Amino acid sequence: MPLLSTRTKLVVTGILLCVALGATIFCAVQTVQAIQRFREEHALTTSGDVRTIRPWMTIHDISRVYHVPENYLYKWLDIANPQSVRHATLNSLAARYHRSLDGLIGDVQNAVRTYRKEHQSYLSSSRNAQGPPSLRRRET
Amino acid sequence: MSGLLQTMLTFLQNYGYLALWISVFIAAAGVPLPISLVLLAAGAFSALGEFNFVLLFILAFSALVCGDNAGYLIGRHWGSRGLDWLERPGKWNRFIPPRTVERSRTYFRQQGGWAIFLSRFIFSALGGVINLLAGSELYPYPYFVLADTSGEALGALIPLLLGYIFGASWEAVGDVLGPLSLFILGLLVVVLLVTRLVRYMQRLKRAQTAKVDQSIDVQSSPAGTPMVDTPARPSGNLPLL
Repeated sequence: MPLLSTRTKLVVTGILLCVALGATIFCAVQTVQAIQRFREEHALTTSGDVRTIRPWMTIHDISRVYHVPENYLYKWLDIANPQSVRHATLNSLAARYHRSLDGLIGDVQNAVRTYRKEHQSYLSSSRNAQGPPSLRRRET
Repeated sequence: MSGLLQTMLTFLQNYGYLALWISVFIAAAGVPLPISLVLLAAGAFSALGEFNFVLLFILAFSALVCGDNAGYLIGRHWGSRGLDWLERPGKWNRFIPPRTVERSRTYFRQQGGWAIFLSRFIFSALGGVINLLAGSELYPYPYFVLADTSGEALGALIPLLLGYIFGASWEAVGDVLGPLSLFILGLLVVVLLVTRLVRYMQRLKRAQTAKVDQSIDVQSSPAGTPMVDTPARPSGNLPLL
């Protein structure tokens, strides 16, 4: 009887081991995929891609992550009293101003893009004003 | 992102440290809340300059330990009564033999420390249940506090630090942590099962060897006479030699 019992235990443990191995391999694949997704998203965030703006972000967070002045964003969104919404996430801002969340995120994305364009054109114009040495010599 | 997590983050942004302490305490006491994600987010907010990291750690750690202790005390007060009832033979509790309950108590006393320690930071989803179980199984309180505080120091530090390091990408970090902890759990289960399997195989081998030895003993006569001299079997077959 004890021999049979050990044999049964062996078979049951073997089946459980197969199931556990399958589940572990599945989890390993999921982990690798999640790491890949994380790397892609982190690369996008560090490069300042506006698609990574999320509902949990406050205007302050967005200004820090995407290097846009806070006041510029408040002005763009027509927020008259910035101090009252300093800790409000985009989600709660959308609820407060009766707007759709996607619409608000789209507006913020436009604001960041516009600021960058203005800033870039300003930078490039100031760079062009100096101009390369050879050109400047020809102008003179 | 789930609506619950979104609400918790709004709560955290609006009410700051107090909101963090309360939500972490409730989660540690056993209410299933996505607290690891909240801690990741809090770490990210501190990287963005909204919270002080050291203060966040102290508050999160204290809330986790207090919540765990509350869960343990609930288990000790009410859960142990339930187990005591199961140990008594009766009409309604005949499906779980009292010996099994006693054995589970002994097993938890021997191995429970590891379960408590690991469930603080690797399998945090099991933390609430383990607290109740530790209380119900009357796991010694000083050992519980030791395993709990050492585990929770890591349980608070790891998500806060990851959130602080990866900042705005904390959501993607959270997506990695879920399957990663399941993968580690799976590995542990595989190791445990392989150990069991090897033990059963050895036991089986030993039993088979013992059986062979026994059959040899039965075949040889008690006086020690050699096999060649055994008389012809009743079937009429002669021995080979």
